[in-house]
Amino acid sequence: MTSPVRIAQLSCGPEYSGIQHEIDTAAREVGGEIFYPDVALKDIRRDFDAFGLDVKSPDLKLTIARAMALVEGRVEADAVFIATCFRCAEAAIVRNELRRYINEHSKLPVVSYSFTERTTSGTLLTRMEALTTIARRRALLARETQQGITMGVDSGSATTKAVVMKDNRIIGKGWQPTTEVLKSAQEVIAHALLEAGITRDEVQAVGTTGYGRFLVGKEIRADLIQEELTVNSKGAVYLANRQHGPATVIDIGGMDNKAITVMDGIPGVFTMGGICAGASGRFLEMTAKRLGVDITELGPLSMKGFGGRVPMNSYCIVFGTQSLVNALAAGSSREDVAAAACHSVAEQVFEQQLQEVDIKEPVIMVGGTSLIEGLVFAMGELLQTKIIVPPYSQYIGAVGSALLVSGFIKDD
Amino acid sequence: MTEYTPTHVGTVTKYVVVESFDVTPADLALRGYEISQGVMIKETCFGIVINGNEEEVDRIITELRKMDPDNIFVKDRGFPPGDARRCRANLGGARPGYNGMEHEMTLIPYVSHGLKELKKRDEKTIPLPENPLEHPLLDIYKLKILIDAQES
Amino acid sequence: MAKVFIYPATSLILSDMVARFGHTPLSSATAIRERIQTAGLESPPLQITPEEPKKGLRWAAVEVPSGVRGRMSLYGPMIGDCEAAIIINDADLAFGCMGCARTNELVKFLIHQKEIPKLELNYPKNEEEGVRFVAAIKRFLTELGGTR
Repeated sequence: MTSPVRIAQLSCGPEYSGIQHEIDTAAREVGGEIFYPDVALKDIRRDFDAFGLDVKSPDLKLTIARAMALVEGRVEADAVFIATCFRCAEAAIVRNELRRYINEHSKLPVVSYSFTERTTSGTLLTRMEALTTIARRRALLARETQQGITMGVDSGSATTKAVVMKDNRIIGKGWQPTTEVLKSAQEVIAHALLEAGITRDEVQAVGTTGYGRFLVGKEIRADLIQEELTVNSKGAVYLANRQHGPATVIDIGGMDNKAITVMDGIPGVFTMGGICAGASGRFLEMTAKRLGVDITELGPLSMKGFGGRVPMNSYCIVFGTQSLVNALAAGSSREDVAAAACHSVAEQVFEQQLQEVDIKEPVIMVGGTSLIEGLVFAMGELLQTKIIVPPYSQYIGAVGSALLVSGFIKDD
Repeated sequence: MTEYTPTHVGTVTKYVVVESFDVTPADLALRGYEISQGVMIKETCFGIVINGNEEEVDRIITELRKMDPDNIFVKDRGFPPGDARRCRANLGGARPGYNGMEHEMTLIPYVSHGLKELKKRDEKTIPLPENPLEHPLLDIYKLKILIDAQES
Repeated sequence: MAKVFIYPATSLILSDMVARFGHTPLSSATAIRERIQTAGLESPPLQITPEEPKKGLRWAAVEVPSGVRGRMSLYGPMIGDCEAAIIINDADLAFGCMGCARTNELVKFLIHQKEIPKLELNYPKNEEEGVRFVAAIKRFLTELGGTR
């Protein structure tokens, strides 16, 4: 048995919020082990002064000292999990600064999270899995070309995608909304194989990712089952041809959003989540429906409008929909409403998630929502940068999975 | 969620900490073993941890305090000795409370000195420490000294 | 024998002084002990379950972080029970149960609101301050009366 990935916990409050057990459980489920970097009082005094962030909470002082012990190599770790109470301003400042500090001064992968008493191990699982993947599969994540014939399946919350690749080229693909997880997977696989003109037996290795990765992976006997944070970021830099140097990957998904900073294809800092569906692809789907257009038409429509003319705040999907209905009733054009919806989603992601990572150019947007031009435009405006949307961006997870799993092809 | 079945129900656990030239944690543990009846004693770097029923633990502590009354300090602990949930070996690092204790251990010698002096001096003659919540006005004589210093 | 709330509630020095001079210290350890000796749902390490921050709503509103409310579920009942309090004001390095500055502000405020005998101190920083520190605590605790 391999030894567990040692995840250093830098935190304030989880024991008193009743969720430390959830953190430990999530780590254990993905082969990780939570530990607390050992520091002495003299380290706390010295490091707290040296770091220079004059917080009042003693546990945050301790957290700062623990972070410095990791960065300076006095304590060894494979990954870092930073967690503080949701709604604590003091802790949020420390969380952000430590995340930045660790990312800049070490190679340790970091995920930060603000919890409530309702946080469960299930919520933390994908984040923890990404941490252990980065620690364990660095060599695999360094893979830059796809070899042989492989297939990747991305069983997402909203859609299921499959891609067949051969000698570094995509030769078949399948896409459909997720209904029954296994049935949807089987159908997209069949479609991708048909388009590729090959049989299942010819596929040398299969990978799965996304929410349904374990279920689908077990069913189709996948060689690699890996969470979507590392897979998507790998797929993004691969398709955007930005495998070297820094990049930021934004994936606004059907259920939650991911923001990942990448260095040489390997994720450094990432966040995942979304307060409400109002900051996700779901809201745009609803907008399209209300406007009577197909989701594929929402992008071009929004590009003809001006979002600033319609007040909209999709912080909550219910309120967002209300603004949408009100705006239409008040005579706003469909184009303006479409643009406002795109801007609102981009703004939610910008305010709630992109603050948890340091944006490094180029910014690559992936996932189905990256095909909505209005959303990409709005995000570019907010970030003041030109955003790259690589080809096949809606298949990002499937491509990343097919690329990575080629490392599992067995030599006959 | 799984059911939790507690252990050591109805017992108390106390730290007995020693900061002395004459008595070491090992001495404390040895004496503890001598006089203990059915309690659990574990030696730590600061002293010992005792677990058992409250009367028995208090009886032992009363005896132990006699070894060096001004240099032995006692406090409650939530967990029984060696509990895996608080053990450094399991957590990778010390529980946060340990650092707090480390801090107070640097101040303990002043408290020990206070306890000793209190036996020698007339308590009524010892001035009260300043109330940290009160910000006293500048003493008029100190003010005069400051003015004089400025003028000279 | 009076129940004396100590601040910091994790203090070895105050816990010892209160017991030494004949009263009962109310400390974090006793609140934690109560939880880890009570059957229920497993929530290691402190046996503070996600229900505790909800109990904490009695002292702090829902927009207050869960860590504050969880800690208040430890301290709130003790503040209600205590008959006197000793407060060290420069306790900047009390971690864990006393590791949250916002909780600590609320705890101090609630103690100050309560009409009970209180002693406000700083930690002693030299031997002479040590003498005054111990003398003040002894005097305060003796005046409470009813020592064992």
